Amino acid sequence: MIGSLYIGGDSLLHRQPAWRKLLVLFAAGIVLFVVQAPEILAGAAVAAAAILATVRPPLRALRRQLTGVAIILAAIFAANAVFADWGTAFAMLFRLSTLVLLALAVTMTTRTSDMLEVVERVLQPLERTGLVNAARVSLAVSLAIRFVPEIFARYREIRDAQAARGLAGNPVALIVPLVVRTLKSAEEIAAAIDARGFEGAHPSGSASGRTGRQGGTAS
Amino acid sequence: MLEGVSVVRDGRAILDSVDLTLRERRIAVLGPNGSGKSTLVRLLNGLVTPSKGRVAVDGHDTAKDAALVRRRVGFVFQNPENQIVFPIVSEDLAFGLKHLKLPKAELHRRVLEALERFGIGHLAERQSHTLSGGERQLVALAAVMVMKPALVVFDEPTTLLDLRNRNRIRAAITEMPESAIVVSHDLDLVRDFDRAIVIDQGRVVRDDRPGPAIDWYRAHFG
Repeated sequence: MIGSLYIGGDSLLHRQPAWRKLLVLFAAGIVLFVVQAPEILAGAAVAAAAILATVRPPLRALRRQLTGVAIILAAIFAANAVFADWGTAFAMLFRLSTLVLLALAVTMTTRTSDMLEVVERVLQPLERTGLVNAARVSLAVSLAIRFVPEIFARYREIRDAQAARGLAGNPVALIVPLVVRTLKSAEEIAAAIDARGFEGAHPSGSASGRTGRQGGTAS
Repeated sequence: MLEGVSVVRDGRAILDSVDLTLRERRIAVLGPNGSGKSTLVRLLNGLVTPSKGRVAVDGHDTAKDAALVRRRVGFVFQNPENQIVFPIVSEDLAFGLKHLKLPKAELHRRVLEALERFGIGHLAERQSHTLSGGERQLVALAAVMVMKPALVVFDEPTTLLDLRNRNRIRAAITEMPESAIVVSHDLDLVRDFDRAIVIDQGRVVRDDRPGPAIDWYRAHFG
């Protein structure tokens, strides 16, 4: 499940600024795709695992993050072994493993807000063209990370409620209330962001692009 | 201050010609479901603008100076789940402060100070979705208070909470030095307030000390 993967700590990686970690990750991604030798890539994977180990991630969190990835990597490895050759398959396996481990090390040691600050800074030149609002993009990313676990919890709640009514296998009974509830909370979230004075939209404006709604909520 | 405020939605009057001057330190807003209580308090933060009339906070028109008004008026919603927008608690508190362009150390100090104020300093690094209902409401409150508003509006802050957490929020509201306007069905919470306003069908039907106002409310809507 998506959510913030950040784990508090004081490792060397924790102390690095977010931009530096993201830059190194970006550069590592390029280098890894240039290098073809499986032996070198295997060394890189071991090094990435060692870097991740310095963060001292909890084993449970690590298992949760890596199980799904391991299945995908195994499938890619098998496909390459069948349709290409063993050398290509191993190179691909080590290359992707290195990237995943490095990315995990970065996300486990970087707060979402620090990462979003970098995103905002990177997008700022585009902001001048009027095509992108960096603050809005960064808020949208944060909201996605924040609310995916909530939507998943809501999904489980509705699934259990429908199962109790004998509608366990009915996708409509599951999807319709989930969409309705999500949209309803989206409206409330927008109001909450407005209420907290988010000025990403325009200097005196509101996140949802409306400074106050005509009409109201009756309660 | 609300002057001749009406709010109309889909042709229906949610609020009808409301005139109020709100100066007391603790004000309760009571009323049955659908009476217009939430709309009334949302006007104070500029979340809703009047269809007719004028709402001003410290002389600032909420329709024209929404950003300025929101710096003075904090708003705590009924469901804190929708109010916390960042994955980590301390990040969420820092969200509002970021726009004040404070130095990082000052920002960090204010975040911790706000959390400690409500006895939840230990939650600073917790993931927002793992908090209990009471913890979420306290985090939402801390996220509002970190901005140092002069007035805090609470829209049914204890409705979704169990007794223990309800008491925590009650204590937080009672002890805070800032002015507060509280929409609530929790009559015990507002009993010691300075003023209680009862709303029904979009109109102020009683404006009194909490004791007589609650008795009147019970007699008419109980």
